[in-house]
Formats: sequence, structure tokens, C-alpha cells
Amino acid sequence: MAETILFLAHTDADGTLGRIALEALAVAKSLGGTFIAGLIGGAVQPAADSIANCGASRILAVAGEAFANSRYATDAAASEALAKAAQATIVVAPQTSRFARCLAGVAKRLDGCIDTHVTAIAPGPQITRWYYRQRMEALLERTQRPWVILVESGIAPAWGGPAGTATVEMVAVKAATRTRVIGRQSPQTGQQTIRPDAKLLFVAGAGWTRKQADGKPHIDDAARLILGFLHGSEASLGSSKSLVDLSGEGQAVLPFLSHMNQVGQTGSTPRHPKGLATCCHGEEPHVVGWRFIRERRAVNLDPNCGWARGKADVVYVADAFAVMERVNAMLAERSAARRAQA
Amino acid sequence: MDVDIVCAGFGPAMGGFLHTIAPKLADMETPPTVICYERADGLGFGVSGVVTKARGIRTSFPDLDPALIPMAAPVREEKLLYLLDPHGASRRSFAVRALDGVARIAGAGAKHAVALPWIPGFMHKEGGLVLSIGQFNQWAGERLMTTGAVQVWPGMPVSEPLIEREAVVGVRLADQGDEPGMDIRAALTVVADGPVGPVGRRLDEHFGVPPGFERNDWALGSKMVVELPDDTPLEPGTVFHTIGFPEPDIFGFLYVHPGNLASVGIFVPSWFDNPARTSYRYLQHYVMHPFLWQYLKGGKLRSWGAKSLQESGRRGEPWLVGNGYARIGEGSGTTNVLTGSGVDEAWTTGIQLAEGVLELIREKAPYTRENLERAYVQRRRASWLEQESRVAENARNGFQRGFLTGLAGMALAGMTRGKITVHARSVPSQDRVQPMEKYFGGRIPLEEIEQLDSQCRSDGVPLHDRLMDRLGWPSIPYDGELLMSHQDALLVGGKVQGAPGFTDHVSFIDRDLCLLCHRRICVEMCSGEAIAASKENGAPVFDREKCVHCGACLWNCDNIEFAAGGGGLHSVEN
Amino acid sequence: MSDIFHIVVCGGIVPDPLQTLEPVTGPNGPALRNELQLPHVLDPWAAHALYEAAHLAKKHAGSKVWLVSLAPKAKLQQVMMTVAQRVSLELVAVDGPSGGFTDSAEVAAALAAAIEAIPGLDRSRLLLFGGWESASRAAGATLQMAGERLGITEQFQGVDELTVGEDGSLRILERVEGGQHQVSVCAGPPAVLGWATGNLPEPSNSPQIGMQNMRLILPALQKAKPAPVTAGCTFTSVALPKQTRETKVVKDTSVEDIAREIVEWVTAE
Repeated sequence: MAETILFLAHTDADGTLGRIALEALAVAKSLGGTFIAGLIGGAVQPAADSIANCGASRILAVAGEAFANSRYATDAAASEALAKAAQATIVVAPQTSRFARCLAGVAKRLDGCIDTHVTAIAPGPQITRWYYRQRMEALLERTQRPWVILVESGIAPAWGGPAGTATVEMVAVKAATRTRVIGRQSPQTGQQTIRPDAKLLFVAGAGWTRKQADGKPHIDDAARLILGFLHGSEASLGSSKSLVDLSGEGQAVLPFLSHMNQVGQTGSTPRHPKGLATCCHGEEPHVVGWRFIRERRAVNLDPNCGWARGKADVVYVADAFAVMERVNAMLAERSAARRAQA
Repeated sequence: MDVDIVCAGFGPAMGGFLHTIAPKLADMETPPTVICYERADGLGFGVSGVVTKARGIRTSFPDLDPALIPMAAPVREEKLLYLLDPHGASRRSFAVRALDGVARIAGAGAKHAVALPWIPGFMHKEGGLVLSIGQFNQWAGERLMTTGAVQVWPGMPVSEPLIEREAVVGVRLADQGDEPGMDIRAALTVVADGPVGPVGRRLDEHFGVPPGFERNDWALGSKMVVELPDDTPLEPGTVFHTIGFPEPDIFGFLYVHPGNLASVGIFVPSWFDNPARTSYRYLQHYVMHPFLWQYLKGGKLRSWGAKSLQESGRRGEPWLVGNGYARIGEGSGTTNVLTGSGVDEAWTTGIQLAEGVLELIREKAPYTRENLERAYVQRRRASWLEQESRVAENARNGFQRGFLTGLAGMALAGMTRGKITVHARSVPSQDRVQPMEKYFGGRIPLEEIEQLDSQCRSDGVPLHDRLMDRLGWPSIPYDGELLMSHQDALLVGGKVQGAPGFTDHVSFIDRDLCLLCHRRICVEMCSGEAIAASKENGAPVFDREKCVHCGACLWNCDNIEFAAGGGGLHSVEN
Repeated sequence: MSDIFHIVVCGGIVPDPLQTLEPVTGPNGPALRNELQLPHVLDPWAAHALYEAAHLAKKHAGSKVWLVSLAPKAKLQQVMMTVAQRVSLELVAVDGPSGGFTDSAEVAAALAAAIEAIPGLDRSRLLLFGGWESASRAAGATLQMAGERLGITEQFQGVDELTVGEDGSLRILERVEGGQHQVSVCAGPPAVLGWATGNLPEPSNSPQIGMQNMRLILPALQKAKPAPVTAGCTFTSVALPKQTRETKVVKDTSVEDIAREIVEWVTAE
């Protein structure tokens, strides 16, 4: 039986479709057969126009003030309405926080099923996703329909066809909600240390706060060196669970670190092209969070740490305090030289 | 908080106690509240793959089906093997080398091992079980909890007994962060916190010890649980006992569990007088001995752990009871040093105490020393446990004088049921450890030892690796699967970790003494590399994230305080 | 209106994340090797949700906390030995498999049924808490679907903070892209909150809490109804990723040289 595929997307704050949405569009197309596009947002015409030539047989939308913001009740009602209007058997949507919040609930409303964090789709369709926090990968398929599939970024090259003028069929949806969105905020650590678009992820491990060769911890130096590196390299800061946990114990802590910085099994899985791990042993539950990081290096006093066992490209056996002191100085010199030339 | 019976430690002894008492409590109209506090994060996070005759255990579980206990198997084949040293690096006396010669003639061959044609009766575990203590404890604990009659709380170390007017009135739990440990008051305190447990030691300090009491003999048991290659010829229930390698004084074992698993380990004893003695590296050499390697090659490390064993046995028996308290298990001197067993003995003392306590409950009699003597101690004295421990009492004396004397002494004791034993005085371990130049004299010049030592000090690393390299021990070829660095091993199968909120449980009493210390045996013997020497001044530094609570530091140096703390091993396969 | 909350925390159990995990194929689909032998813990983010629930309940006298868990009874009992020392709670146990390969919709249905059966539960005061994504399936779907089944249309995921206003409104911070949080205000319960880590430290073990909890936990385990959830899909394969690199270990090199090499690498395009 031929599937009816709904490519479902919401507009971003600026009214456009984000990159991850366009990757999901590419996936929807790749499944073959008819596909319908469904958009949700405050005002959707610009977004619809941008995909006017994507090959969708119809472009449906739910638009209006109520749907500008990211909220369960309104997004779920809109998504449900679009899926029903399209009579979708498969819904392909990008894994954004907005859809992660509501599409499982929508799957329940449709009496369907859902898979999230899908990293690959093969004909069938068969999907690939991770289990146990990136520690094992599974290939699976479902017969139940409709099947809602949320796809991760990087799954396919973003669709990049020419814009046009789209004919949008509006779907009327009324949704009551008791929630209003106030806005966005950055973590209250006083320093914005998480930079998803940075070229490098700098991971600080628990070793930074441990007693050093002189039997004493050097928290202030650790903080200075880490922040100094972030400043000099514009890297993003990640950490291991053990270092983040210490913050909860009343132990000497790096004040700019929070749970948000945690990389690994119970943290995030960032996508920077390079990663530098320091004072971190390279244990599996942390390293699984490095899955998408291509070039990996580590600085650790232990030549037999986990990084040296095939988890990093290069391990520098050295004292991170000493190395980062010099690294920061060299970065400062480079930057000064460039400013002088300019 | 007030309860009726408070218990410190959940191991085989407490398993026996609670298992015997719980069903009877469940039948009572107003049963006493019984609560057990265990230090480790989970029941069964201790260590020891074990082969046991399981007599006491079978009394408690008459229909015991090993197939229902994970990793349990009936003993099917036992061998005692004499292992030669293929590297020639171990320290072997003339007599031992002569024995090596005999072994070669007897056909040791390429595997550098000779199986003795028979196993001495006292060692034989026929009819017994190969067990994982962790799995067994968990299994026993699970069954206990479903009765609802007792409560067992892991992650709650007990730091000391509460003593008032020469009676024990309960226990104090360890402080956690800002919160001071709670006092749990109870009419009876059951102490089963093992040979290095702080409650037991505090009782010894306060109430003194019986005449003749000594705990000079110890061993550090260090063990891996290994997943054997798929095509292994070894059957579950296979038991190998070994002597001779990696050093004559270091005994070893391999027990095969179902599911292609094996426990393989060594015992590093306090009468191994090497001042740079250590366990983990020796364990790796053991695993690579040609006889064992034929089975272990291609295997994977599942978990690792270490534990101190109280090898003074009956001589280390403290006062078993007092007003308001009773002691069971290894901390009460149950290790049988002749048969090399302890689990079943510990379990049995738990049964004995439970029966005694039930008697006293029925009589509505108070938990006075006299009553507990009558109800528990006398039971213990009248049992096979006492008989066999008397036979074993002096069985190991010979090792104070040397490996072969020790073996001969054991054989004598075994064959004469303890009537004839070698006479030897035992001294505390730190008094018998030899100075470097004496132990390595003739093999490494003193200047070289001093140079290695000072290099290691400035690099902040223990001495044993470089010393062993120098002696001819080959470096370990790490494969990341079975052979890996010490720190990696701490992370396998559940990471060794410190528990949040507790302070350092190992501390150094007189730090000036540490600065003067020439030997730093605490650093060499630490099972987890948790004790390291500062590069700056050599002062010892403790990292509780790496401590497995084995207690080796405690018996290797008397300048060390080993208190209650959480965390440690985090694997239930041991 | 007085802010009494009825907080129902949904939490599964997972193998302690630090254990070695390997998939095997069983008669009912994929499972973990020796799953029942591995020590288990309460799912980490569900545990955070539980601590947040306890924290909230303490601040609002009269509130109650339930923990609803679908897991094999024997393993749940083990997990409770740790959890029950930390937080006052009432356990609602459902006996079933706990692995990541079970179907989230089926689990959600079982949880919702168990929640509906909780005597004295006031839906108008209901806050349905849980972990945003489990450490096993990591789908972020179960709690949502359970909430749907209970008719709750105000849902929040990736929550790190909840503040109750003077007027009883709920100010909620949810993790969004870019390391930021979205701030929303919900007029009041019922609401679903799928927590990330929040900001509270793990509570320490308390013997009194343990004793109090134990009275009710065992009966709850004993009357756990079975819920035979299945995989709900067909798994073609489950495998460990093969990610081993040829690591170059740089030793005996000066700090200066190492630093230079790192700077070259960091600044290279």
C-alpha cells in the first residue's frame, strides 16, 4: 500500500524554515511517493514560498498568532489537524525542541506510533536510532500507522531548491491553552559558555578540580585557564558528569559550569567538528556524547586513559594546567599579531 | 531513631543472620524492628568469586538449585597446580628452585605448570559451589526483602558503635556532607562489617581483645571476572588452585562460572616481605601465565575488585559478644586459614546468632553478655565451625618462616587435624617487611634501587612497576579488553566511585612520619591507586574516587586511619 | 486557592549507566545481556524529577508525591532500597519489563492506567512529572503519551526549573536550542513536566525517610499488576557502534611543543 507522507515543519522565530527542517524535507522526498507539506507558525507564507518547488503535492498550514509560539496545546492541535487533513500514514518532522515537546502526544491522538532521534532512514521505511544513550544502534520498522518520525540534524543534506510562490491551504484549528510563552533566556551562570556553532568543543574533566602534584587543588587557576581558553579560541565548553556533579556537593567548583555543559550519556551530544578533552579520563558514558565530533584530541597525564584506547586521534601525555597556560599565551600572541597587522 | 535490632554490614554473615531470623519474625504478632545498614552502594558490591562447601548455606536453603543463583555452579573438577615462573623474575629461594626442578622433571612443559595428582582433603571442595559473592548476596538480599520483616539499606555506612556504661546501645551512621550521621539506638547491635570494618575495630579498641588475640596475618585478594572466549573448553564448576606464581608466596585461583565467566585472582599475603609489594600488576602477570593464558587469552575483563582477608583466622577472634552486641562473620575471626574458606563459615555464624537471638526473644531475655554467650557463643563453640577452626588455627604458621615451611606446615596441620603444626611467632606486617637492600640484595645494586626510588618519587609514581621491570617482569601488553591499565580496570563493569557527600575515609595520622617514610608501602599496595605520593614532597595524597575500600592500607601501615565511607566498587558480578 | 499539588512522578529503571552494556537477541526481541543481573538505578532524569517533586511538596504543605514505575518487581525492589532512603514517596508499581526496547506507547498506556487507579488523586491538582528522555529508550515519548491519555494538554519537556507564583501559576524553564531555555507560564495544574537535570543536588540518605517509606513500599510491590509490554515494532538489528581510532599517544614531549601543536590544530580551518 502506498504511503502518504506528511512533511511537517514549524517556522523559526524569523518566519523561515531552519536548516534541520530542510533536511527533514529532503528525507520526506527521499521516501518516494506522494508527499504533502504541512507548516505551522505565526505567518507561514514566506516559509511556504521557500519550499514552493519542493515537489509537495499540497502545502497545508496552520497559522496565526496562537501558533507563533512553541507550546504543547497549540502545536499538538495544529499537528494533529495537519496530519488528519493530509491523511498521512507517515509524518516526517525535524527533531526540534518544539516538535519533541508535542509530537508523541500527537501520535497518541492519531492512534499511531512514534520514533524520535532518528539518524537514518532506509527504504521500507526502516529507521535507525540510538538506544541507551548512544551506546547501541538499532534498525527497526513498524507496521502500525500513522508513524511519526522525528529526524535528527545531519540526516541528509538540506533541501535547497529555488523559492517560488506557494499556494497554501489553510487548516483552521482552535486550541485552548493555559500557557503563555514569555521568551528565551541564557543560563544564569554569568558566562555564555555554550556555543553550538563553535568550531571546537573544549571539555573540562574532573581532573581540573582534583588535588594536583602539590597535594592541593587549584580551582582558581583552573577557572582562569579554562575561561581564558574559551575566550582565546571561542570554543564551546563541555564537561563530564563527574565535574558537573561536584557542583552539587559544596565542593570547590568552577562557577561557570552547570548541568547544561554536561556532555555524554545523561548530557548533550554536541556537533562541533573538533573536540579537545582535558583532565578527563575518557569513560564510555561520557565519550558517547562525542559521537558527532570528528577530530578528537585529549590532554591527560595518564597515557593509558580511555582516550588513548581508540577514542581520540591524539593524546598528549602532559599536565593540562601547564599546557593550557602556554596554549592561552600563544593564542593571545596570535591574536595580538593579527590585530597589529590589521 | 530507635529500633530493636540494628545491623552493620550486609555480607554472607548478615545474609545468614537475616535469612534465619526473617521468616520467624514474619510469624510474630509484634515483631521486633530489624534494620541493616550496608556501606556499599548496593547489596553485593563487595568482592570475591568464591568456591565453597556451602554447608551452612545449604542448611538455610535445603533445596538450593545453583541454576537459580546467577553465576553459581556446582563444583565439578578441582585441580591444585604448581606454577613455574616462565620469566625468572620472581624471588625464589634455593629450595623453591629445587622444587621447580622437580616440577620440570614431572612434566611442567611449555605451560610451566604441574597438576598435583591429588588435592589435600582439607582443601577439597567436593559437593561445593562456585559462587559470585555479589550475585549471591543480591539473590539472598532479594529474598529477604520480600519477607518484609527486615529492612536493608545500602549506601549507608556505619561509622561507630554507640557505647554507654560499657554496653553497646546502637550505632552511629557516617556523616553525609553537612548532615551529621544519625544515631540509631537498639537493644541489640549485630556487627558484621568485615575484617576492616570500623565498628568492629572500635569495639576492639574500647572493650579490648581476648588474650592471645592477634591480627598480624592478612592477604589482599585481587580478582577479575573474565568473560572467556566462546570456544572455551572450561566447564562451569571447574576449580583451579595454584601456588608458585607470580611469587611463591602468592596463591592464586580460577573458578569457572556458568555463562562463559571465570573468576581469576591472587592473594598477596602480609608474609610476602617485598617492600614494594603490589597486587594489580601481579594479577595481570598471573592471568598471563602460560597455563592460565591458554584459557584466558581472547577473554574480556568484565569487572575487577579487591578485598582484604583476615588470615589470622581464629587467632583474630575478638570478644564475640558483650552487653548489647554480638559479632559474626569475618570480623569475628571465621576465616579458616587451612581450607582457605570463609563465606560458608561467615554465613554459619549468622545462622547461629539468629537462632540464639530467636531463643532470647522467646524467653523475653535481655541481650546481655551472659545471655548472648549462652545463646550464640555456645552454639558456635559446639559446631563444626569451632572444631575446624581449631584444626586450622596454627595451620599457616609456617609461612612466617618461608614458603616451603608454610606449605609443609599446612600439610602437617591438615593431615594431623591440627595436632601437629609449625611453631612460629607472627609479627605485624610492617615489622616484617624487609628493607629494599635486603629483599632485592643480590639482584639489584643498592645504588640502582635508590635511583629508581628517587626517580619514582619525583615522577609521583609508585615504585613497583619500575622495580618489577628491572627485575625482569615483562611489560603488560595492554589490549584494552582483558589487559588494561589499572585506572581503566577501575572503570570496567561499573565504575569505582566515591559517593557524594562523604569526607575522605582514609587519612594519615602523623603526616610528619609520612614525610620521613622510606618505604611508602601504602602507595605500592593500594588496590585502586587511590593513595599516591605527592611529587613535591612525597606526602601521601588520597583520592576517594578510586578507593575500593579493600583495607590494604590499614594492615600495611599503622599510621593510617581507615574510617567509614560510602562508594567504592560498583559491580555486582564479583 | 491553596497550592496543594498531587505530584505523580513516572520513572523507569535502567542499568546503572556505568555498567558495560551489550545487546543480545531474546525470544521477545532485543534485550541487554545479563540485564537482570546488572545493578539498576532509577532513570537519571526521572530521579531528578523525583527530587524536584519532593522539593516542591515540601514547600507546599499538604502536597503528595507518588512514584509510578513499570519494571520487573525484583529489580524495582532493589532500586527502591536506594531511592526510598532519599525522598518521601508512595510507590505505585507495575510489574513488567524495563528495557529500552519496549514500546513507549504500551508503557504509557500501562502507566496511565495505574495513575487513573490511584485512590484520592485530584486531577485538578495533578502535576505529572517524569524524565524528559530515559537513559534506555531516550525517546522522550512515554511521559507525553501518558499525559495525553490522562487528558493533560499543558505539557513541558526538558524542564530545568519550576517556580510556583503567588497566584498558583507555574513558571517553567524548558531547554531549547543553543543552550538556552524557553520561559513559559502556565496558569496552573494539571500539567506534564518532563525534567532534564534541574538544579537540585541529590538528597542524602535519611534513615527516617527510609523507615517511613518501607512500610508502604513492600505492599505496593506485592500488589503490582502485570503489564506485559512488547517491543511494538520489528528490530532488524541492534549493535554496538564500532568507533575505534588509531590513537597517537604523544609522550616525552615538552609542554611548549604540545601547546604549539594544539594551537595549530585549534586554529586550522
